Amino acid sequence: MTTTTAPPQAARRSVKKPEGAHNTQRSQGRGRALIPAHVLAWVYAALLAIPIYYIIVSAFKPNLAIFSEPFALPTSLSFENFATAWSRASLGTALANSLLITGVSAVLTLALAVPAAYGLARAKGRLGTAVERLFSLGFLIPGFAALVPTVLLAIAIGLFQTRLFVILFMPATALPLSVILLTQFMRTVPSELEESATLDGANRWAVLRHIYLPIATPGIATVTILNLLNFWNEYLFTLILGGPNPSVRTVQVALPTLVSQTSTDYGVLAAGTLITLVPVYLAYILLSRQMEDALLQGAVKS
Amino acid sequence: MTTPTIVDGPEAGHAQKQRRVGRSRRQRTDDAIVGIFSAPAVAWYIVFTIGPMIAIFVISLLFWTGFLATPTWAGLANYDRVLHDPVFWTAVRNTAVQVLIALPVMLPLAFMLGYYVALKPRFHRVLRVILFTPALLSLSAMGTVFYAIFQPTGMVNSALESLGLGSLAKPWLANPDTALYTVIFVGIWSGIGFTAILFSARMSAVSADVYEAAELDGCGHWRRMWSIAFPVIKDYFGVLTMLQFLWTVFASAGMVLLLTNGGPGNSSTTLSFLVYEKAFVQSQVGYSQAVGVILFAVGVIGLLAIRRAFRQNY
Repeated sequence: MTTTTAPPQAARRSVKKPEGAHNTQRSQGRGRALIPAHVLAWVYAALLAIPIYYIIVSAFKPNLAIFSEPFALPTSLSFENFATAWSRASLGTALANSLLITGVSAVLTLALAVPAAYGLARAKGRLGTAVERLFSLGFLIPGFAALVPTVLLAIAIGLFQTRLFVILFMPATALPLSVILLTQFMRTVPSELEESATLDGANRWAVLRHIYLPIATPGIATVTILNLLNFWNEYLFTLILGGPNPSVRTVQVALPTLVSQTSTDYGVLAAGTLITLVPVYLAYILLSRQMEDALLQGAVKS
Repeated sequence: MTTPTIVDGPEAGHAQKQRRVGRSRRQRTDDAIVGIFSAPAVAWYIVFTIGPMIAIFVISLLFWTGFLATPTWAGLANYDRVLHDPVFWTAVRNTAVQVLIALPVMLPLAFMLGYYVALKPRFHRVLRVILFTPALLSLSAMGTVFYAIFQPTGMVNSALESLGLGSLAKPWLANPDTALYTVIFVGIWSGIGFTAILFSARMSAVSADVYEAAELDGCGHWRRMWSIAFPVIKDYFGVLTMLQFLWTVFASAGMVLLLTNGGPGNSSTTLSFLVYEKAFVQSQVGYSQAVGVILFAVGVIGLLAIRRAFRQNY
């Protein structure tokens, strides 16, 4: 699991490779030998796109039209399904809860991971290695398996089914990756830079703020994008630890409740799903390159 | 890693400034800095991750009927019960079927698709965006969408009917013969795209000369893909196999919960769903964690086996 610890820069470079570098492969890409590959690739792309298309058109159609002509475009632009989904699953409250939990957890994760990464980046002793190894171990631990003990912990400290517990818990799931990635970035700071700053009378926190943070900014951006996406999309933990109460649940927990309430009202299900996807896709449109890089790095590291 | 009493930031800075002469001193200062700066993160991690992980093993040795009941010592009785429970063996079978279908289908297809994308064919940018979509979808959105799609009156059956294949229509999620395979299908559907992007990123990092040499030798794409690209990135293939293995084995609980709830009967109950169901539906906490320990062992053994199988050997 920890075998591929290429520096983050390497991963990024490979994604952003300039066009020219692949001229030869480009020309091959147009050959006739590839026709079956073209067909298969686009068949799979269609398989991915069809359910999404179905959901988008269904969200604007009354149920009868969904049954009779599932793939036809909606005849009118009605937002009735959206309104129904919004009120049935109290999606407004749920969106607010999701934003709160995602945002605070992400900030908390950084507050914990950035100092830790700084400490580890300039460590040469045995303690540093031990701590780093402890965090790498986290990649092996299946988060899901620890759900039951985590519930017991929440009950023990009297925070079961509260937003606070979810906020406190989320950073722990993100720490291994965040710490390891940030440490790799901070290792690129030359130690002379820090020494001269220390001689000038800067204390540790000033060094961290003015020297390490600027250099680690790309890493912080990557880690934050990844954490925001994972926290926003988290389902099973928020379902159990946050609980089904409409006042504390997140959108991911609220959305499936539409299934039991409406059963076959697909228009409402589709509209509800789209509402939960809007923030993620807005972010993707604005930050597509950064999000792709972040996900690639995140996957390889874990 | 021990828990040093943590003082607030600025004070910590002063504290270490006083001593910084001599090498061994320096070493100690170094450890102090690591300790002070990483202690909060380590403490967090121990409380919320390492602690619960250890607790799984302890709880699996207790009789515990419900979260509010008082547990009593059970020894290995839970394991005994688990191993004599036909539901557990159904879950083992289902998990095995899931892994043995999902991995062999997903990884070779993703690898080939990744090779294709790395060639930068026409419209590869559009293709990349489409392949990326499942990575952004949350489990619950995916579950809700596929619930609607596989309902008796959902998209799949409507499509079959309009193609004149109405006889093939069935209640996919409520039929014991298809429920598990529907869950597996959704896993494959969402897994191939992102895995392919990962493969293509890795393959574009491989020097183009390697392929050129192969082309001069008259190798077609099929040969180039499996005799050159594959050996070169074999270890990476292993890493992604391990990733998918972990996702399939550990993370299937959420999808099963959303789509079929383990049913009908136990026909789509997987091991990780069994952990969830026993603890939160049937209030058999000890039993659930015994399955959790077994699942953990399965995970570790699986990972080691995969790593062995894909060891780089050139």
